[in-house]
Amino acid sequence: MDLFAIGVGGTGAKCLEALTHLQACGLLQAADGRPVRLGTFLVDPDQQSALLTRAQTAITRYGAMRRAVGSGTEAFCRGPLEDYGHWSPLSTASGALSLEQVFPKAVLNNRASGLAALFDCLFPPEEQQADLEVGFRGRPPIGSAVMSRISLEQEAQTGEWQKMLSAIESAAGSGDPPVIHLFGSVFGGTGASGVPTLGQLLKNWLKRQNLQSVRVHASLLLPYFDFDGQGDGDTGIHAEVRNFQLNTDAALQYLRSNGDACFDSVYLLGSDVKARFDFSIGGTTQANAAHVLELLAALACRSTISRNQPAGYAFSISRSNRDALNWEDLPEHEVVGKGLAAGARFAVAWLNNFSKEIEAAQKVRMTTFVSGAPWARRFFSTSGKAAAVRGERPAIRDSQELSTRDAIDAYCEALLQWLAQVSGNTGSGFEQNLFTTDTLAPTSRPINALGRVVLGKARPNVARSADTVERIKIRMDRLSRNRIKLKGVAGLADTLWQLSI
Amino acid sequence: MRSNEWISLLIAVIIGVLWIFLGQPYVFQHGFHTLLVGPGMNLQTFLRNGSTPGFTVFWAGCVSALLVWYFITFTSRTSQSSQVRSMRVMWWIAAIILVIFGWLCQLFFAVIWWLLRGLSPLDGGVGINYFPIPIAGWVVILLMIVIDVALLFWLPTLLASPRSFRLVVPGAVSLKGGR
Repeated sequence: MDLFAIGVGGTGAKCLEALTHLQACGLLQAADGRPVRLGTFLVDPDQQSALLTRAQTAITRYGAMRRAVGSGTEAFCRGPLEDYGHWSPLSTASGALSLEQVFPKAVLNNRASGLAALFDCLFPPEEQQADLEVGFRGRPPIGSAVMSRISLEQEAQTGEWQKMLSAIESAAGSGDPPVIHLFGSVFGGTGASGVPTLGQLLKNWLKRQNLQSVRVHASLLLPYFDFDGQGDGDTGIHAEVRNFQLNTDAALQYLRSNGDACFDSVYLLGSDVKARFDFSIGGTTQANAAHVLELLAALACRSTISRNQPAGYAFSISRSNRDALNWEDLPEHEVVGKGLAAGARFAVAWLNNFSKEIEAAQKVRMTTFVSGAPWARRFFSTSGKAAAVRGERPAIRDSQELSTRDAIDAYCEALLQWLAQVSGNTGSGFEQNLFTTDTLAPTSRPINALGRVVLGKARPNVARSADTVERIKIRMDRLSRNRIKLKGVAGLADTLWQLSI
Repeated sequence: MRSNEWISLLIAVIIGVLWIFLGQPYVFQHGFHTLLVGPGMNLQTFLRNGSTPGFTVFWAGCVSALLVWYFITFTSRTSQSSQVRSMRVMWWIAAIILVIFGWLCQLFFAVIWWLLRGLSPLDGGVGINYFPIPIAGWVVILLMIVIDVALLFWLPTLLASPRSFRLVVPGAVSLKGGR
């Protein structure tokens, strides 16, 4: 089954970041239990956005890790991911970087002076002249004006859209209709204008292609953060907290009357406890930390791919404790908690121990290394020589094995950064009981304790003092031969994943 | 530790006991008789009053070292292989100390004990307050002590070192790690 995820704006990008990590944690599975093929597509006029870069980093690193590990794993890194890239709505406007360039006044005056007057009426001069390279500046009307110019028929002929729309067409033809899921905020500029517009454009396009079996869903985020500080005269027009409610109100009113034309189902998520981010106009300085609400938005995909949605029903989730978030507050918390816990424990054990062990193995003879690391002989040649036959244990110094190690390292860094942000970015007076944030940081020395990484119900059923990397290594050493199907770094990672929880 | 490792350990300890108290005296009597017996010495007297007490204390020392090894390896928590490997140094130190201890036990019960008491272990031997073991005999005893350390310390630790320390004993990677 295919899931095409489209992240619109900064919040949309953050949701795709969360969705990529859910895929890595094995949490995106079709009804038949097989991992879905996830396709990601980012839409943002702000090409320099740190949030876009972070999402792109997670996507790229997961893709690189999956290529390095291969498809032979039992449990680790099984979900395919196709990156359809990043597209800017401004790219259709012949290089225009402001509203007055997108809708040239001279042309408007010449062709329809009434429209030019209306344009002046709707958009004050500072909005017409604002540089849109940093996004739509928290103004949905600007975004809507730009987005409404998009023609999917035209876009389907070339570039990133063409790649993704072709993939949707072929997936729809396979007999297992794909799902399209859009993500974005409704209180900012890009998401609020882009998600409904793109939803409607996609629905219309699917209708014209006779692909009505393809469902279009959306996770829409209501206000969940505030800014510390605000813009000044130099920043020009910018997103303002006081407009968040107004933008949200307008977007929800629009959805109420036009929602059916845009989406088959909508997931609305918000929070009364607001996270606080430093003000940024956009670009590289907009480095808002990941938030648990984006995780919840991404988890909505578990619902859409399960196809277990009775029409006309509204479901709701909420937390049970006013001042804290627990595993039980997540939908399908037993499965989701297990997956996320496995991911967190794997990343900590890998990055802060196994990867360092592989590094240490480069400095000593393999027989010497194995004398202190019996687990290593299950995956690597004890003679230290390269495998002569495919399927044999490779040398731990093999350059391909080291590349795989580097790819897993890079992804684990991204995953740990995201988990640390999700668990640390809670808002004042509010706590989460999912992870211990300080255990999710990369360390310079190998660590052993895993007992505090995951909190609450998702913790494995092991005494905290006995919950160590050493315990996993001992279990690896004792596994029967037929339990280890894959050798080398990929086999090590696959086995670690299975023993992490 | 797995059950087969516990069984291996038990078998190794039983073999050690049988060797020290039955096998080794037999080998001394029938294999190295001429090398061990000096002028005026009776081999049976030496085995009864010199060698066996020395080897009994030495055996107790080996068992104690074994217990200390198991206590350390069972209770140690290691986060990296280099920490595990550092136990190999400890193992070698323990093995060397056991060899020296075994030799000192023999020296004590063959020589020092009699000197301190002013008695002669020889039948009718006056003025010789020790067992006059020839140089070749001392070499044989030293070799036997090395074999004993291998049997009483190396073999049990090789067969049944627990947890991460399974392959840290010398030779374990070659003998057990090829799976």
